[in-house]
Amino acid sequence: MYLHVPVLIVVLLLAASYTVPLLDRFRRSLALPITILSLITAFISSLYLLYLIGVRGPFAYHLGGWPPPWGIELYIDYLAVYMLIVISSIGLLIMIYGAKDLLHEISREVLSWYYTLYLLLMASMMGIALTNDLFNLFVFVEISAIASCGIISAKADRRCIEASIKYLILSALGSGCILLAVAMIYMITGNLNFDYVAAALPDALKLYPYNIVIALGLFVVGFGVKSALFPLHVWLPDAHSSAPSPSSAILSGLVIKIYAVALVKLLFRVFPAQIYDVIPILDIILFLSVFAVMAGSIFAMVQDDLKRMLAYSSIAQIGYIFMGIGLFGGRALTGGLLHIFNHAMMKSMLFLAAGLIIYATGIRNLKDLKGIGVRMPWTMGAFTIGALSMVGIPGTSGFISKWFLALGALDLNRPFYVAIILLSSLLNGIYYFPIIIDAFFGTKMNPVSEFRDVPALMLIPVLILAAGVIFFGFYPKPLLDLVSKAISF
Amino acid sequence: MELIPKLINNSYYFAAMILFVIGFHTMLTHSNLIKKIIGMNIMDTSIFLFFVSIGYVRGGRAPIIQEGAGFLYVNPLPSALILTGIVVAVSVTAFALSLIVKLYAHYGTVDADEIALIRAREER
Amino acid sequence: MDDLVIRSVSRLVVPFIQLYGFYVIFYGHLSPGGGFAGGAIVASSMILYGLSFNLEAGSRKLGHDISSLMESGGAIWFLMIGLIGILFGSNFLANRFAGVSLGTPGQLFSGGIIFFLSLGIGVKVASTMITLFYSLSGGEDNSGTNS
Repeated sequence: MYLHVPVLIVVLLLAASYTVPLLDRFRRSLALPITILSLITAFISSLYLLYLIGVRGPFAYHLGGWPPPWGIELYIDYLAVYMLIVISSIGLLIMIYGAKDLLHEISREVLSWYYTLYLLLMASMMGIALTNDLFNLFVFVEISAIASCGIISAKADRRCIEASIKYLILSALGSGCILLAVAMIYMITGNLNFDYVAAALPDALKLYPYNIVIALGLFVVGFGVKSALFPLHVWLPDAHSSAPSPSSAILSGLVIKIYAVALVKLLFRVFPAQIYDVIPILDIILFLSVFAVMAGSIFAMVQDDLKRMLAYSSIAQIGYIFMGIGLFGGRALTGGLLHIFNHAMMKSMLFLAAGLIIYATGIRNLKDLKGIGVRMPWTMGAFTIGALSMVGIPGTSGFISKWFLALGALDLNRPFYVAIILLSSLLNGIYYFPIIIDAFFGTKMNPVSEFRDVPALMLIPVLILAAGVIFFGFYPKPLLDLVSKAISF
Repeated sequence: MELIPKLINNSYYFAAMILFVIGFHTMLTHSNLIKKIIGMNIMDTSIFLFFVSIGYVRGGRAPIIQEGAGFLYVNPLPSALILTGIVVAVSVTAFALSLIVKLYAHYGTVDADEIALIRAREER
Repeated sequence: MDDLVIRSVSRLVVPFIQLYGFYVIFYGHLSPGGGFAGGAIVASSMILYGLSFNLEAGSRKLGHDISSLMESGGAIWFLMIGLIGILFGSNFLANRFAGVSLGTPGQLFSGGIIFFLSLGIGVKVASTMITLFYSLSGGEDNSGTNS
């Protein structure tokens, strides 16, 4: 019975997302409790899966009882369990925050549809982490694309709708490229299961090298558009800055990472090692990630709007994850994958803290935030911890992942990337520290006309995430064990 | 000149790739938002054509089992996958069109360049 | 529109279109079609009704309560049928391995749970398309989302 837990997590979230419109029609007050209850169940189940995989080792689940290549297979290994824990924990905390905040940003009729789309997004992200089949991956990628556009455009602001349609068009381009790549691989190998394709590709490489190169390139472009790799990042600042705060948090924290994880699964489990002699795709990804890290920070320095600056900072941080993928050493890949969890915690906390500032005072412009640390000490304290972790100060979890990236680069005799990491950390400091210094030590701000007190329910997730950042900065051992087991493909 | 017989043999794939590039180019360069959605549909349709034509077996009949033996059937798997793909494309198109309707109500135009101009003018 | 010929012909034709749509849904495992195509045909019958009479009469014909019940009900029906596989010992969405009787090929009630899955899919696709039509054509339900 306990082997059915992976599929039951996804089924539970899907069933909850379809029950919420019914509840909205007939008994409106139950919509939010059902959402939070299903997210709590998903989190507990993913922790149970961690225990289960420690006892039995990685296992496969065949849908419908049909073994592959006839059926769809879900493969639960350490990477899948790691992503499930990341997604469910941070999704739960963001929804607890959103319980109070969403009423002030989106209208009452659309609120239940927001819960539906949020649960669909969570279910599809978990599906991407679990699946072992190419077309199943495509279907879940499409569901998450529509759901993530939906949670941006829930707010009736016209900037939101414009950002959402920009994201939708570029995302549809990416999905088209991914589907064409799946078609190319099906054409050559005749299978859609990851393991069967990986077995058939080395022989096919001699017969059809160009098809495989095209498929690899289309996968990288498709997943690169969706996870905002450097030249394809143009939709991200608008989308993440104009969305409601819980949406920004989950988009920046989780959604762009899961596509990077899907790309990792494809690059290292499906495509054979000989393909990297034909086309140096890992070096190309490394090259682009260096640009991402630099350009993201440079663009973030000149921004006025708080959330837009955080969005550009996301582009830089996703560059670190792709740098870990491109280096593909032992410790570099560990650092990159660990940065997924660390950045999810940090960036969600920063976006939620920004949301608290906007909720309390309505201020979004950086110049007007002087002295706000005195009025909102807890919020700005959490923001400070997040900013220190972004820069990589020892004692916070951001330091651990950058340390492992740097060590991995030194292991592979590429000290240039250590210089890049140091320089970009300095650039991160240039735009984060002025905010903190102004907030606590700046001149006293003009009394804002409407200062709403922040309810405790909105403050608690931010404080939990801040505590998590410091805790995993001093005791990263459980995460490091999990990630190093996850990358042993 | 052995390219011409190769192209005629793989005429389905050739046509699908031409349609893909047409759809891609339309999505990227035309500024009218409705034309971008049409380009997205052309691109998706071309991929569906590519996928279905992979499964074609020359001389095969429709993949529904009939009495008798020794019949050659067309591969039914791509058709089943594309059914899902078509529904996904319809959903994305419907969502994009409803967003364009709302955008038109706010801005009064469906042209992306004009919307950028209006935004730039009011942010000054 | 106010045309007498269009109104009387569509009043006659709508039930037959729905019957054909349900045929395509139910015989999905025996002939081309299945849930998606059949659901689209059933939806087109209600869209024809909405186009030939005015939109308020059309959106009143299939009320908001019933259409949201059909949408959510179709999806939850699909997930419940999938859980039957787990109840009978095999994996999710199991058909033959869960002991469901397969019948003789070529009959309507063969293929196990495929019949019920097609029904759930067809109902959900039909109600989704009708909702999309009424929300895009300026009806009162303009939430701008779909599922």
